[in-house]
Amino acid sequence: MGLRRILDDVAPHFDRGGRYEKLFPLFEAVDTIFYSPSKVTVSEPHVRDGIDLKRIMITVWFAAFPAMFYGMYNIGFQANHAIAEAWWVSSVSGWRGWVIDLLGAGYDPGSIWDCLVQGAVYYVPIYFVVFVVGGFWEVLFAIVRRHEINEGFFVTSILFALILPPAIPLWQAALGISFGIVVGKEVFGGTGKNFLNPALTGRAFLFFAYAPQISGNSVWTAIASIDGTSGATSDGFSGATALSQIATDGLPAVAAATGEPLTWMQAFLGQMQGSIGETSTLAILIGGVVLLATRIASWRIITGMFLGMVAFSYFLNFVGSDSNPMMALPWYWHLVIGSFAFGMVFMATDPVSAAMTDLGKWIYGIFIGVLTVLIRVLNPAYPEGVMLAILFANLFAPLIDYCVVKANIRRRRSRGILE
Amino acid sequence: MKLLFSNPVSFAAAARRHRGINPPDHKQASLRSVLMDMPLPRLLYFPLCLTGKEPAYPLVKPGYSVLKGQLLAASTDGNDNLVHASTSGRIVALASHPRPDPFGSNGETLILEADGEDRWIALHPATDWQTLPATEIRSRICRAGIDERNDCGLSRWNHARQPEILIINALETEPYLTADQALIRSHAKELLTGAGILQLACGALRCIIAITSEKSDAIAALYTALQESGQQAGIEVMVLPPRYPITDRQLIDAVTGGRVPVEQPESERGAVLADVTTTMAVRDAVIDGRPMLSRVTTVCGNTLRTPKNFRALLGTPVGFLLELCGIDYQNLDRLVMGGSLTGFTLHSFDVPIVKSSTCVIAAAAGEFPAPVTAGPCIRCDACVPSCPVGLLPQNLYQAVKNERQDLMTGLRLDDCIECGACAYVCPDHIPLVQYFRAGKAVLSREARQIELSEYRSKRFEARRQRLARDTAMRRGSRRRSVARPENPDIQDSGLKTFSRTRAREEIAAAVARVQQRRRNAGKATARPRDPDQDGRS
Repeated sequence: MGLRRILDDVAPHFDRGGRYEKLFPLFEAVDTIFYSPSKVTVSEPHVRDGIDLKRIMITVWFAAFPAMFYGMYNIGFQANHAIAEAWWVSSVSGWRGWVIDLLGAGYDPGSIWDCLVQGAVYYVPIYFVVFVVGGFWEVLFAIVRRHEINEGFFVTSILFALILPPAIPLWQAALGISFGIVVGKEVFGGTGKNFLNPALTGRAFLFFAYAPQISGNSVWTAIASIDGTSGATSDGFSGATALSQIATDGLPAVAAATGEPLTWMQAFLGQMQGSIGETSTLAILIGGVVLLATRIASWRIITGMFLGMVAFSYFLNFVGSDSNPMMALPWYWHLVIGSFAFGMVFMATDPVSAAMTDLGKWIYGIFIGVLTVLIRVLNPAYPEGVMLAILFANLFAPLIDYCVVKANIRRRRSRGILE
Repeated sequence: MKLLFSNPVSFAAAARRHRGINPPDHKQASLRSVLMDMPLPRLLYFPLCLTGKEPAYPLVKPGYSVLKGQLLAASTDGNDNLVHASTSGRIVALASHPRPDPFGSNGETLILEADGEDRWIALHPATDWQTLPATEIRSRICRAGIDERNDCGLSRWNHARQPEILIINALETEPYLTADQALIRSHAKELLTGAGILQLACGALRCIIAITSEKSDAIAALYTALQESGQQAGIEVMVLPPRYPITDRQLIDAVTGGRVPVEQPESERGAVLADVTTTMAVRDAVIDGRPMLSRVTTVCGNTLRTPKNFRALLGTPVGFLLELCGIDYQNLDRLVMGGSLTGFTLHSFDVPIVKSSTCVIAAAAGEFPAPVTAGPCIRCDACVPSCPVGLLPQNLYQAVKNERQDLMTGLRLDDCIECGACAYVCPDHIPLVQYFRAGKAVLSREARQIELSEYRSKRFEARRQRLARDTAMRRGSRRRSVARPENPDIQDSGLKTFSRTRAREEIAAAVARVQQRRRNAGKATARPRDPDQDGRS
C-alpha cells in the first residue's frame, strides 16, 4: 500500500494550518477516489442500499454515450456529404485534416469510420474544453468553500457538450460552460442548491449572447475550417436544422443530407442537422431506457412531458392555420426533431431542478411538454422551444411542489387522517 | 381458528399502502440453531438509569446476598423500571459501568456476583389463570417489571378505554433480528397462553397475532398450536408481506381495515399492541409468578462461528454471549446492539443485556459498509417513497439544516419514527436519522422554552395581582384601624357605599403623597421596596 503511505505522509500539509491548507479539497478528492476517509462516525443505520451518488452520476454519464457516439458519427456524415457534393473541396485543411490523415480516414460519407473520425475531430476538442473549463470552476469553488469536489460536473459537462452545435468556436463553448457552472450553479451554493439546470443555463446564455452565430444556418455542418475561418462557410455548406426549415417552409421542404426529403425514420435515427447529441432520438431513448431501468430518471416526468407534447400538438393540429406550417406538425415529428427527446430524457429529469412530489412531477412534465410545443409553433423567433421550456419549468418547480404539499396537507386534514 | 392471509387482495393492498424498504434480511444464520439456554455468567450488571425510563433507586447495598427474582431497584413510585436479580448471588458493587445507549456512556450499575446455585425467591404461581380477576392479572404484570413504558411495546393499556382488539406484534421486520421467530418456533403454545392472559387483562374482544409471511416455520408452529388448543377461539393469525418497517399505525390499519387518524392518541384507537417478548413475559408472570428475568436475544454477525438465539439472563454482558458463539476477535469490525437499521454501536463488551436488547451483531470487516462522508442532497427523491409514515425526508433534512422550526413542525417531524429507511436508501449517505433526532431536540427544547415562559408569565401575572391585592388590603386595614375606635359601623357602611367624590379626593391625595415622597427622596431612589423581592422567587 505505497500510495496509502504517500497520501498519509503528505496529509498533514493539507490539514488546517498546513502548508497547502487551501488545497485540501483537491487532496481529499484524490484521497477519496482511492480510499474511503477515516474521519467519519459510525452510526445507524449500519446497512445501506447499494446505490450511491457517484454511481448515479457515472450511470447518467454512460447513458449519454449512445447519443454522443451517434452524434460524432452524424457530424462526420453530414460534413462528408457536404464535401462530396462540393466539387471544389476534397479534404480538410489544418490540424483536423492532419489528424484525419493520421488515422487513415477518408471523406467517404458511406464509411462509418470516416464519419466517426471526421466527427471526433470536432466533438472531442469541444468536450475537452468544456470538461477542463467546467472542472476548473468546480475545483476553484470547492477550494474556496472547502467543499468536496462533486461528481455532478461530469454530467453537466457531457450534457452541455452534447447540446452545442458542432461548429461552435471553442471559446464560446468555454464561455458557455463557465456561465452555466458559475451563475447557474455555484453562486447558489453548488451542487444540489441550483434551481436551474446548469447545462441549459450555459446553453441559454450562448443562445442569447451570440444569437446570430449560434442559431444561424452555418453552425450545423462541421466543415468550417476548410477555409481556415471558423463558423463562416460558403453557401454550399450551410444547412438549416429541420426545425427551422419546417418553421419557414413546412415539413415537405426538409431535405436530408442526400438532398431527398427527410423521412420520419431518418429523423428518428438522427440523419439530419442539429446539435451534436440531439439528432438521434433512438440513441437518446437507449440512454433513457438505462436511466429508467436504474430508476435514476423519473418516469413521471418523462411520461408527463411526452403526453403534454402529444396532447398539445393534437390541439394545435385541430386548430390549424394557413400561414404557420408548424401548426400542422404531428406529434411524432415533434418527438424526433429538435432536442425534444434529449431534453425529455436528460434535461427535464435532472432531480435537482425538477419538481419533487409525485403529482408535482406529472405537472412539471406536462408543463414542459405543452410549453415546448407552444414555443416551437407560436414563437417564430425561436424555433427551438425545449431549452426555454425546461428552464422556465425549473423556475416553477418549487412552486408546484409547494402547492402539491399544501394540497396534500389540506386534504388529509379535511379527512383527519394521514396514511 | 382463522388464518387471515387468506385474501390476496388485501395482502396486495397492504403491500401497496406500505412504503418502506426491502433490505437483505440476514436472518438465516441465527435461525439454523434452536433457541438455547445459556450458562450462568460470573458477573451480572443491572444499569439503574436507562434512556426513556425513570431512574431506579437501589433497594440493596453492596454486600447483600440476593435470591433469584428478588427486587433490586425501582423508581421512586415503585411502578417503573423494576430491576430484579436474574440469579442468586451477592451484590458486589454499585459502580459506574458501560450501559446500553447510543452515546456509549457509563451509568450507575448494580453488579451481582452469581453464586451458581440459582436459588429462587418464594413464588406464587396461579394454577388457573382464567379465574383470576383482570385487576389481579394487571398487578401481577406490573410487579413483574413488564412496565408499560419500557420498549416491550405494551402500549398504555391501563388508561385505554375498553379496547376492541389486542394485537401481538410478531412482525420483526428488521434485518438480523430473529428472536421472535425463534421463540414462536419453539414456544408457540406459551405465546397463545400469554395472548389469552393479555386479552383477559385488557378486555379485548379479539386477539390477532400479526406476523410477516417469510416466517413460515413460526406460522406453522402457531397454526399447530392453535389447532391443539381448540378452545382459544378468539385468537387469529394475520400474515403481512415482509417489508421494513411496519409502524404501529400501519399495523392497526392493516388489522382493522381502516385508517387511523393522526391526531388520535394511541389509547383511543381501540387497539392494544404487545410484542412477543412482552407476551411471553406476561405468561410467566401470571402463571408462574415470575418476574421478567430473561429475554430472547439474537446473537449474530459474521465474526461468530455459530450465531444463535439465546434466552439471555438480563444483566449478562454481551461479551459473554459472543464468547459462547465463538467470536473471532481479530475480525471484529463493529459491535451493534439492536438491529442493523436502528441499533447503536457498542464500545464495550461489558454492556449488559436489558429488557429492550433484541439483538447483538458482531460484524466482521466488510459486513457493514464502511462509513463515508455525506454529499450534498440532490433531491433525488429516493427517500420519499421509503418513509413508512409518509413524510418528506429531504424537505425535513433541509428544514433541520436551516433550523426552520416552522417547517419542521409543518412537515410533521414529530411523526418520524427514526426507522432509518430514508438513510438506508440515500445515495448521498446523508445521516438523515441523526439530523431528525437533532431537529426533534431543537423542537422539544423550543417547546420547553415556550412552556417555561408561559409558566413564568403566569407566575408574574399572579404575583402582580397578589401585590395589588395586598396593597389594597393594607390600605383598607389601615383605614379601618384608624376609624374603628371612633365609630366602626359608620366607617363600614361608608366603605360599602361608594362615593365618587371621596374616591377622587383619595386619588388626588395619593398622587400628592407620592409626588411629595418623590421630591423628598430625590431622583435616584424613588422605588418602594418590594416585599416579595427576597426569600421567595
